[in-house]
Amino acid sequence: MRIKKKHQAGAAKNFITRTQAVKKLQLSLADFRRICIFKGIYPRAPRNAKKANKGSTAPTTFYYTKDIQYLLHEPVIQKFRDHKIFARKLSRALGRGDVSDAKRLDENRPRYRLDMIVKERYPTFLDAVRDLDDALSMLFLFAAMPASDKVSARVTEDAEKLCNQWMAYVARERLLRKVFVSIKGVYYEAEVKGQEVVWLVPFKFPQNVPTDVDFRIMLTFLEFYTTLLQFVLYRLYADAGIVYPPKIDAAKVQGVGGISAYVMEGKREKESLLQISTTTKAITESEMASRAQTIATVLNKITDRVDGDVIATTADDEEEVIDTLDKFTALPSTDTVISDIIPQPDETLPEDAVKTLFSPFTFYVGREVPLEIVEFTILSLGGTVVSESVLDGYLHVDTDALLDAEEVDFDARQREVDALLQKVTHQVCDRPALASRVPGRIYVQPQWVFDSLNRGRLVPVDEYAVGATLPPHLSPWGDGAGYDPEGIGKEEEGEESEEVDEEAESDEEEIEGDVEVEEEEEEEDEALQHQRELESEAKGIIYSSAASKKRKRADKKPKKSAEEKQAEEEKELRKIMMTNKQKKLYNQMQYGIQKKETRRETLKTKRRKLEKNKQNKKRVL
Amino acid sequence: MAKRKLAGAKKPAAKPQTSAQGTGNRQGSKLANLQRRAPRLLIMDADEDNEYDDNNGFIDDEAEEAEEDEPEDESDLEEYDGEDVSEQFEGLLDGVISDSESEDEAGDKASEGDGEENDADERTQYFGEDDEIEEHEDAAEVIINSVSDDDEEDEYLSKYSAASDAESLSSISSDQEDSRVAYYTTGADGKPRPIYHEIDPHYSSDDSDLEDVNTIGKVPLSAYDEYPHIGYDINGKRIMRPATGSALDSLLDSIEVPEGWTGLIDKESGADLKLTKEELELVKKIQLGENAGEVDPYESTIEWFSSKTEIMGLSAAPEPKRRFVPSKYEAKRIMKIVRAIREGRISPNKPKVRPEDEQPVYDLWADDLQEQQPHVMHIPAPKVAKPTNDESYNPPEEYLPSEEEINAWNETDEMDRETDYLPRKFSSLRTVPRYENFVRERFERSLDLYLAPRVRRNKLNIDPDSLLPKLPSPQDLRPFPIKCSVTYRGHKGRVRAVSVDSSGLWLATGGDDGTVRIWEVLTGREIWKATVGDNDEAVESVEWSPVKDSGILAASAGEKIFLCLPPIFDDETEVTGQELLAAGWGYAAQPAPVEQINKEQQCKWIKPSEKLASQGVDVVIVCRKTVKQIAWHRRGDYFTGVSPEGANMAVLVHQISKHNTQSPFRKSKGIIQRAQFHPFKPMLYVATQRYVRIYDLSTQSLTKALQPGARWLSSFDIHPQGDNVITGSYDKRVTWHDLDLSTKPYRTLRYHTRAVRDVRFHTRLPLFCSASDDGHINVFHGTVYDDLLRNPLLVPLKVLKGHTVVQSLGVLKVAWHPKEAWLFSVGADGTAKLWTS
Repeated sequence: MRIKKKHQAGAAKNFITRTQAVKKLQLSLADFRRICIFKGIYPRAPRNAKKANKGSTAPTTFYYTKDIQYLLHEPVIQKFRDHKIFARKLSRALGRGDVSDAKRLDENRPRYRLDMIVKERYPTFLDAVRDLDDALSMLFLFAAMPASDKVSARVTEDAEKLCNQWMAYVARERLLRKVFVSIKGVYYEAEVKGQEVVWLVPFKFPQNVPTDVDFRIMLTFLEFYTTLLQFVLYRLYADAGIVYPPKIDAAKVQGVGGISAYVMEGKREKESLLQISTTTKAITESEMASRAQTIATVLNKITDRVDGDVIATTADDEEEVIDTLDKFTALPSTDTVISDIIPQPDETLPEDAVKTLFSPFTFYVGREVPLEIVEFTILSLGGTVVSESVLDGYLHVDTDALLDAEEVDFDARQREVDALLQKVTHQVCDRPALASRVPGRIYVQPQWVFDSLNRGRLVPVDEYAVGATLPPHLSPWGDGAGYDPEGIGKEEEGEESEEVDEEAESDEEEIEGDVEVEEEEEEEDEALQHQRELESEAKGIIYSSAASKKRKRADKKPKKSAEEKQAEEEKELRKIMMTNKQKKLYNQMQYGIQKKETRRETLKTKRRKLEKNKQNKKRVL
Repeated sequence: MAKRKLAGAKKPAAKPQTSAQGTGNRQGSKLANLQRRAPRLLIMDADEDNEYDDNNGFIDDEAEEAEEDEPEDESDLEEYDGEDVSEQFEGLLDGVISDSESEDEAGDKASEGDGEENDADERTQYFGEDDEIEEHEDAAEVIINSVSDDDEEDEYLSKYSAASDAESLSSISSDQEDSRVAYYTTGADGKPRPIYHEIDPHYSSDDSDLEDVNTIGKVPLSAYDEYPHIGYDINGKRIMRPATGSALDSLLDSIEVPEGWTGLIDKESGADLKLTKEELELVKKIQLGENAGEVDPYESTIEWFSSKTEIMGLSAAPEPKRRFVPSKYEAKRIMKIVRAIREGRISPNKPKVRPEDEQPVYDLWADDLQEQQPHVMHIPAPKVAKPTNDESYNPPEEYLPSEEEINAWNETDEMDRETDYLPRKFSSLRTVPRYENFVRERFERSLDLYLAPRVRRNKLNIDPDSLLPKLPSPQDLRPFPIKCSVTYRGHKGRVRAVSVDSSGLWLATGGDDGTVRIWEVLTGREIWKATVGDNDEAVESVEWSPVKDSGILAASAGEKIFLCLPPIFDDETEVTGQELLAAGWGYAAQPAPVEQINKEQQCKWIKPSEKLASQGVDVVIVCRKTVKQIAWHRRGDYFTGVSPEGANMAVLVHQISKHNTQSPFRKSKGIIQRAQFHPFKPMLYVATQRYVRIYDLSTQSLTKALQPGARWLSSFDIHPQGDNVITGSYDKRVTWHDLDLSTKPYRTLRYHTRAVRDVRFHTRLPLFCSASDDGHINVFHGTVYDDLLRNPLLVPLKVLKGHTVVQSLGVLKVAWHPKEAWLFSVGADGTAKLWTS
């Protein structure tokens, strides 16, 4: 029989240390990191590190050997090597001052593409959609980053473009399901192809960039995520029947930017859309007043989702409306189209009520409100947005128009805007007070929009009125410990009311005690009750049911707890018979449960305290 | 005049030069002029008084005119000896100088008219040639001319006084043609004979010999030893032997070391060989083997082959064909490119696109396969946890941290914090600032994604209650003791021993107060009490005899065992008891055999004292060490007393009928804790600290040693059927041993929080219990099946809590009622309790 050698099979073969891996691939550590990020190769924790490390217990990073073996034939690695040579040649050329040579080299620098890696990592489209969370969060971060020596302007620009394309798609298809404004940023959840995609968008402020953050790593991730999102978006757009990449209206980019600059163009109805939109008047208008288009696209966002036929018919029917709107829109207005939408079969689903939650409404968004959040949310719910900041520019200051000032007719614009403003149903406003109010409009704070989406219904407006103290904004994903602040509120209210009732009852009982007796459902032992009655009779006191009731109440709780107690006791007894292993596992589970429980309890007690303080204050007042 | 003489002394050498100066200054090189000027300058300084003449241009002209005739006499002049000539000249000069001045004026006036023109001509010519020198040396030159001419003029005037002006003019023109002529002398035929310039032997001259060098050719110098001269110069004049000084002179010379001195004698000239600096350099170069010639190592290159088309080419080869026939190869290459352009493979002047933009986007998942099972070893990265309410910009108020929580959060290390943020509340959306750690958190997520080792942890998504073993409900296993119905109070201090008599009516207890008490079970009334312990010795054990209607109670206190007959039974019982106890006295009365002396020493059966006897004690057995436990044999004739400190006599078996005591063990097996007889077999179970040993009494051998795995056993009990044993230990364990299975426990249970003091089987019902220092008694159901394949069923039934823990001692002993599912327990709190179902 052959003697088995140690460390020749099993974990020792299956795992490879990082140093070994780098040597095997003949790469520098930096290149190894890059390829690991691209290919999604990660270290493993072997079940038995000692065995994997051939008897040594030194702390080591292990990779799965086959992962590394697959890498040996990776074309991108060859490109890395080529790049090394290229860098050498380039530096030599530059050192010699051979500029033309350097330029030629730079033009022909080795480039690699990551599309096949994307396909490899995500064999099916759904896999890719499932893994979009990190990609989106990273891209949205870079879209909000200031361009610096570490992050070039091109990178941020590209990231922003992709982010806007994503948002434009989500808004158009109305896939947004949840939105949560946290102190970190805004979390969105969209349901894309049946997959939940959650991403975090920072607030639109310049980001704090710590010095010890290695941007090479971040940028490598970004490179991969950019490629991934490009292909995913292409597929999504294709599936939705939209042209990718969507056209960008340069004028709108200068205006407010964001998703409003994207012209979502259907593949089929291209012609019809053009027919409607390209009246000469509209073109001249739009050229003349580029700002106007920002409003237009805001309105237009959803138009193209409808079939060309529908648009054609509606265009005929609603000619007047279109004409009026054409003065400042390149495409037909939302309202006209929305009203004529033939209900899609999937819209019969109950959850689709959310999709059209805001469709009858037009929102006037104040300039103090972060437009990108509110606009995205409203558009995703089918609403229409009119932004105050855009109108400001359109009506009063127009830098573009200043060049050819004679063409700007502010009065005409004013008329257009007035017509538009008449449609406004809601005004989103984030100010402590408003000087004047337009009758017929509902004034709400931005949180109303978010809460309405999260609840899936229109939340009562009164709590969100201008200047009002807002109700708490809860996470749509709930609390980690399973604490429900709203539930506890109701519970407490219930308890309180009970107590109040009790008090009232007891007062009444003293007067007309006998009436209540009938209502009581006595579970007590009849004999015992009889005994008591007799006793009280003997003493000369009318046996009131109040006493018994109170007693019963007092009994009820311990009784309940006694049952629980017994169950608990039994549980404890059964625990005795558990094996050690089971006991450990059980205790581990209990630890987590206990922790959650304590968290819930602390929150509950805090809440009660707060409620009491509030009540006391009220009483004092 | 002295100055003139000086000039005259120089005449032989200077004369030809001066004459050359006069005529040749027009055609001679600048260099020649300059060379000659240096000696003249000296002369000029000397002739300062001639300035008057110098300013006068006429003299020059006249002198030149005179010169025109002179060269004709060259031949004659050559014939003269050097000495003669010089003498002749000197004589002439002397004569001439005396009357020269007077004639000067006259001649000047005569040639005034045309002389001026000539002068002007000459000057212009002169200046034209020597532009550079003219500026500096203008004045000097004029002087030189005048001086040199001065001498010649004198000569001329002395010889040709009659020469007409016309002649002189024509001679001048001829002079200009033959510039080699230095001057003319009157030849033998009376015609002027030209005397030529001495040949300047420069590089281009045909004779390379130096003028001054001796022209004796290959004739050795020694041939002239007899003559005053040593040879001839180029003009055939003798070269006089240089004066050789005396030996002293040569010595002095050698001492002074003149410049260029070599210490050698020139073989040709016989003089000291002097070497100039340049020559020395040359010698040095030769010695070093360097290039001695005047070769410039850094010569400028001559471009033999240049872009310039030479009229005469270096090569006469005809132009090759390839120079004028178009290249086929090139045509091929070009056609290739042209074709590529036509086919569109190459697009020239392609607009520059960003390389990133030219990456095409296409439907990557066009051939979307159906969902594949991911690789077994693939571990997808966990998603980021979803945000909870406390992350909200406007959370419910209870989420906001209190002051202490904030402090605690700030104090904990960043790594240990549960959340990386503190909940905050903002009144409205516009007041929400940026989140400082956004970039860092995303960066850390990136690091996690590619650096964090991943491991697949099977998350047990099970209800923790499912881990609990499935057991029959205790309710179905009734009866078992549930509640405390009677408490027997009376003992002072701990109650250490308890026993119920076989009828189940009487409970005997013993405690630290040294009393044995008997209680009526149902009422809890103390019926009988006996103080057996002397000096507060605690009653360690109390056991009723299993013999029915005998009423014998064995109690141990200190080293003594008391056999009592409590006066609580009827007479009949009392009599039987007394008979049993008294039967042995007969044996004891007999004289003891010799071997029994040892035994007697270990243990003595004595009659009790009066006091004890009045309390009901019939027999006292005195042992050597404290008896901690008593256990009866089922027949009631034997019982064991265990005194743990007794070494090999720790376990003693006492026989009532014969008042006899046996020590079954010769050697100590450790500290014995308990000993017990098998319920129906002749076997003795002995528990040491670690083991429970089973001895077969009939064969007197060890049959089994159980290993409960505990450190220190406190108690054990045998199942009434004899095949199972439970043990309790001070390290909180209770073990169940199935003797048929193994020596190791079938189940080890740990549920008491303190030491287990006692374990007990019910004799009739499938119940057992354990009592512990935590004050609890755990009651179990334990069914043992007849089927050997089925394991015993153990079900915890009840935890009886009632005893208080005093000085960290709880329940010390328990006893089951012989018939009912009742349990008696005694504890450190000084009470005994009855637990009923």
